[in-house]
Amino acid sequence: MKKKQNKSFHINKFSDKTYGIITALDFKKGDVKLIYGIAVAFIVIVSLICIVPIIWLFVSCLKGMDEFLAIPPTFFPKELHPEKIAEVWKELNFGKYFLNTAVMIVGSLIGTIFLNGIAGYALSRLKPLGSSVLFALIMWTMMMPQTLNLVPLFKNFLNYTVFHFNLTNTHWPMWIISVANCMNILMFKNFFDTIPLSYVESAKLDGASDLGVFTKIIVPLSRPIIAVIALRVAVANWDMFLWPYLMLKDPDKYTVSVMLYYMKTTFGIDKQIMAAFFAIIPPAVIFVLFQKQIVHNDNNAGVKG
Amino acid sequence: MLKEKSTQSVGYEKKGGFFAAIRKNRIAWLLLLPSFYALFVVMWKPVFTGAYMSLFETQGYETVKFVGLANYIDVIKDPVFLETLINTFEYVLWSLVIGFCLPLAVAIALNEMVHFKSLFRTAVYLPVLVPMVASSLIWYFMYMPGPSGVLNMLLAKAGLPAGQWLQNPKLTILLIVISMTWKSFGATVVIYLASLQGISQDLYEAATIDGAGIIKRAMHITIPQVMPMALLMLVSQIISVFQTMNQPMIMTDGGPNNASMTLSLEAYYEAFRYMRADKSLAIGIISFLILLVMTVFYFRLQKKLEG
Repeated sequence: MKKKQNKSFHINKFSDKTYGIITALDFKKGDVKLIYGIAVAFIVIVSLICIVPIIWLFVSCLKGMDEFLAIPPTFFPKELHPEKIAEVWKELNFGKYFLNTAVMIVGSLIGTIFLNGIAGYALSRLKPLGSSVLFALIMWTMMMPQTLNLVPLFKNFLNYTVFHFNLTNTHWPMWIISVANCMNILMFKNFFDTIPLSYVESAKLDGASDLGVFTKIIVPLSRPIIAVIALRVAVANWDMFLWPYLMLKDPDKYTVSVMLYYMKTTFGIDKQIMAAFFAIIPPAVIFVLFQKQIVHNDNNAGVKG
Repeated sequence: MLKEKSTQSVGYEKKGGFFAAIRKNRIAWLLLLPSFYALFVVMWKPVFTGAYMSLFETQGYETVKFVGLANYIDVIKDPVFLETLINTFEYVLWSLVIGFCLPLAVAIALNEMVHFKSLFRTAVYLPVLVPMVASSLIWYFMYMPGPSGVLNMLLAKAGLPAGQWLQNPKLTILLIVISMTWKSFGATVVIYLASLQGISQDLYEAATIDGAGIIKRAMHITIPQVMPMALLMLVSQIISVFQTMNQPMIMTDGGPNNASMTLSLEAYYEAFRYMRADKSLAIGIISFLILLVMTVFYFRLQKKLEG
């Protein structure tokens, strides 16, 4: 069987199809062609439903206010006003909200990667007394309902434990919530489990200390998992709404999501649409840069070599 | 899941005396401490303080007087509670009708595509990247009543009468669920795609040689192979949709007339709008218990599938 390199926009032939339910030979039959045609139509429709609202958002940014108020309004703008985007960005001072969100994300990234990383390492390799209990606890916590933490956690953040800190208008609540993530600890642990022990042993024979093993062998090998978790944390933080909304009361501290919600009642529809568009740009850029890691996929994964 | 007794750990358990063992454990415990402290603060402690506080009358967020189960009785007696509970199940039901089969069907069809496969995959995944507040706003504009709403505009072009959409109490939950499905189903598609590609091509070849057509191959190979993943997705979807709060908060405020209110949103309003933390906690406990039953079911299912 030939193994074929399947690049994304490479023109493929039906006769080369060696994956999935339908294979090359089936395409000779009429009913298979029909079913395949239905499948294509189905995927096209679903894709359209997915992208049309985003396209609508994008083209609406270019509309003038008169076209929003026109009855009936236009789907595609008649006149383009791209200069409005820069105006609204300046008027809303949207850069500030991007910066606030960036500060929140960077703190969450540092905290999560470092703290969940060492916890995953301890669970995977050091296995101290009681680690199997902690591991079981993580599995349970992952599925634990979150319906109860609203009031107790809010109360706790207003008057944080021993020193009675008031964490309102700081990013600490979101950082703490980000670090409290079972899935990330678990992903780190599972990754460390796959690092062959022989690497560690040979380094130890060469006289490396525990710390040396961690920094010289484990950390460099962990780059892929660090990238995956960094993406997860960044996307989740960009999405986070409820806790920033509850904790950040000062408008100068608002994150992008909080600002969007606040705008719903205070700004015109054109500005809301533009702000929603701004909010999509960073994740879209991240997606373009890291598409492979996000939607990791190999067309020929099921093919024997 | 518990693959504890694997071959690792060897290098770390060299016997270096009792104190050395303690010392080694101490370092490992120290590494675990920050993450578990955060888990304690965010996940575990609120359950206990929440359960405790729900037995008291509260003022602000402080407990004032022990009242036993009075908060629970108050909450359950309120006619809105029953409506909200039914609504919450309605969300779950619609999300299963729309959101459960769709990602599986899309993943299977997408996996068969010969042309533009990665383009379609990107299109399906794109809404996942739209932040939740932004996607709720986009759909709020889509559903807007009056001629300026996008859907009404399209209906008008087709010569059809305009709809009230979110303002229609019979439709509002369905429409919110559609917007939630739009935002999140791409993530599920990607998971299904991975598990579809894990199916050995040999199985299909053997079935083809035995004369099985494509429908038979799909029914007897594809579906059984992705079934374990599909069941896990099903239960985790039920649990997460049951806790829906932000989407109705942004799109409808729970209205019209509580028609799209969920238990979680009700708990949020009790705590932060009506300033009745005690009632909020009682609602929280009730939904916690309902979900706990589902979680136990989830774990039993998982064990069965792995066994």
